[in-house]
Amino acid sequence: MKKWLAVFLVATLIMSMLAGCTSPATNEEGTGEPEESGDKVYRVAYVARAQADSFAAWLANAVKEEADKYDNIVVDIFDGQASDSTQNALIENAITSKYDAIIIQPNNGEAQRPYAEKAVAAGIITITTNARIDGIQGASSVDADPYEQAKVNAVVALEQIPQNANVVVLKGPPGNFHADARRDSWQKEFFDKRPDVKIVGEEIANWNKDEAMNYMETWVQANSKIDAIIAMNDNMAAGALEVIKDDSRFSEILAYGVDGTAEAVLLIEEGVMTSTSLQSAYALASALLDTSNKLLTGVETQIDIDIDCPLINKDNVTEYIEMHKRAGAIR
Amino acid sequence: MKTSNMNKIWSDIKSKYSIFLVLAVLFIICSVVNENFLSVNNLSNISRQISVVTILAFGQTILIISGMLDLSSGSVLALAGVLSVSVYTMTESLLLAFLVAIIASVVCNIINGLMVTKYKTPPFIATLAMMTMARGAALLYTNGQNIYQIGDYVKFGQGSILGIPTPIVFMAIILLVTWYILKHTVLGRSVYAIGGNEEAANASGINVNKIKMKAFIINGIFVGIAGVIFMSRVNGGMPNGAIGFEFHALTAAVIGGTSFTGGIGTAIGTLAGAFIVGFLDNIMVLTRVNSYLQQIIRGAIIALAVIYDIWAKTKRTKRKLGNIEAKSK
Repeated sequence: MKKWLAVFLVATLIMSMLAGCTSPATNEEGTGEPEESGDKVYRVAYVARAQADSFAAWLANAVKEEADKYDNIVVDIFDGQASDSTQNALIENAITSKYDAIIIQPNNGEAQRPYAEKAVAAGIITITTNARIDGIQGASSVDADPYEQAKVNAVVALEQIPQNANVVVLKGPPGNFHADARRDSWQKEFFDKRPDVKIVGEEIANWNKDEAMNYMETWVQANSKIDAIIAMNDNMAAGALEVIKDDSRFSEILAYGVDGTAEAVLLIEEGVMTSTSLQSAYALASALLDTSNKLLTGVETQIDIDIDCPLINKDNVTEYIEMHKRAGAIR
Repeated sequence: MKTSNMNKIWSDIKSKYSIFLVLAVLFIICSVVNENFLSVNNLSNISRQISVVTILAFGQTILIISGMLDLSSGSVLALAGVLSVSVYTMTESLLLAFLVAIIASVVCNIINGLMVTKYKTPPFIATLAMMTMARGAALLYTNGQNIYQIGDYVKFGQGSILGIPTPIVFMAIILLVTWYILKHTVLGRSVYAIGGNEEAANASGINVNKIKMKAFIINGIFVGIAGVIFMSRVNGGMPNGAIGFEFHALTAAVIGGTSFTGGIGTAIGTLAGAFIVGFLDNIMVLTRVNSYLQQIIRGAIIALAVIYDIWAKTKRTKRKLGNIEAKSK
């Protein structure tokens, strides 16, 4: 029995290793290896923050798809499992394996900084993304600016949220760069300019829909008047809206998020959610591959760019519904 | 004479039902502190919010009493849930979706059971392994993405039966099932016997492995149902959902007086434990306690509740021993 168990374990191990060599985490058709066109094929290691984080997974999938458009680039995806030590080890391994370029989506920028510097020192093209690690000599970066993402919503909210409004705020995990920068943006761009607005509830829902639901359920007990939901991502905004969807007291409520997820654009189309700003994994992926290509082929030596974060509201939502339909996220 | 009798009865109540006293005191404090606490809507909200974790906690209770535990329940919930949602979006059959969740979860728990009974893996390790595998499977199946547009699937967790929200109905049914199994079946008595002393149970002719396997299968059914309610409540198939729920469930069971040494615990105690946590979370949000401070208070109250419970029980045991000694003299 033990022998069979051992055989089974070894077989599983080998199979998973083989699976890892081909195309992990993609099951769409047509994701074969790029054909070699005689020129040099560059190997790029993409170290993802965590494949278990839905935005990070979306980005990793988008990078993989985008890479298929380049005949001269092969991307291998590695899963940082939301752990600094795992991610640092993966970067070290990629240096040892002599990849031509390493793209790092840091779990915690400061923790990965010395390892990104090591990659640069080893002469490997290093790109940091979502969020960028600032100020590494010789490294490039592609990012979306979290302050700006929240700001595009805050600016329209200045006009939309009524005088003396009661609002609730849903925050991401403390210490997270995007969570903190988005909240800071709402403070400076909205709350500081609108002292009449009262925050009747503010909690950390860790980007999670179910946690946001629990908070909202309690808030609606304590407050018969809530005029707006200000959430640092779409998931939490959607959770809060789920709670009040059949409650006539809150039929006029405004709700703001960030990310432009499939769920959020559907809610905006229904008229339930007010606005969000797009953090497009496709745009990031396309910029990442374009940047990689330019750096690898020597067209440029250093690039730092930010992708746009357009506001999505009921006026332009159809465009983004189409985007998600093309990606298969909306039927 | 009469007062001493009353005292005795009171101290008996205090020791036997100590956790319910904690719950009652907390309930009164919460009602006084915030006027919004004591409303039908708020209490119904709390019950709905704790339902998923409490259902997991009933499964944990049976396992812990028999000297085991399940660290995989949060992950298995997510796997069962996303499979179920996915089957629903393909077939639009609520019944099929429900069955798929239960089958997936039971299969995972049979594997847990096999690892524990056949290969003698400690339950902590076996279910830890399953925790990672099931989460990985859920992420692999969905490619890490949430499933939206789930239509009528929301009826499981957002509907109501005779005016009572469905999650509460499910929680109540599972409470009754757990109570009945533990109190009125041979299986229940065997579970207590194994947890109390496995060798003695074995010697007395109980098929220990069979009982352990049954405990895992029952846990599997509960986790599957919890998965359906969770996904339906959040209106989506979320492979990252319910992370850490196994610990919330363990907390509820342990606060409710289930002993990690095995052999001790009740379904109603676990329910009380779940409500203690539920009341606490609710009142802290209502009174707008700082969110970092909330974590400290939550931890402290959990520790205090369990310390009080153990202290009250030890006193009862001492008194009983005292009585026996007095009688033998």
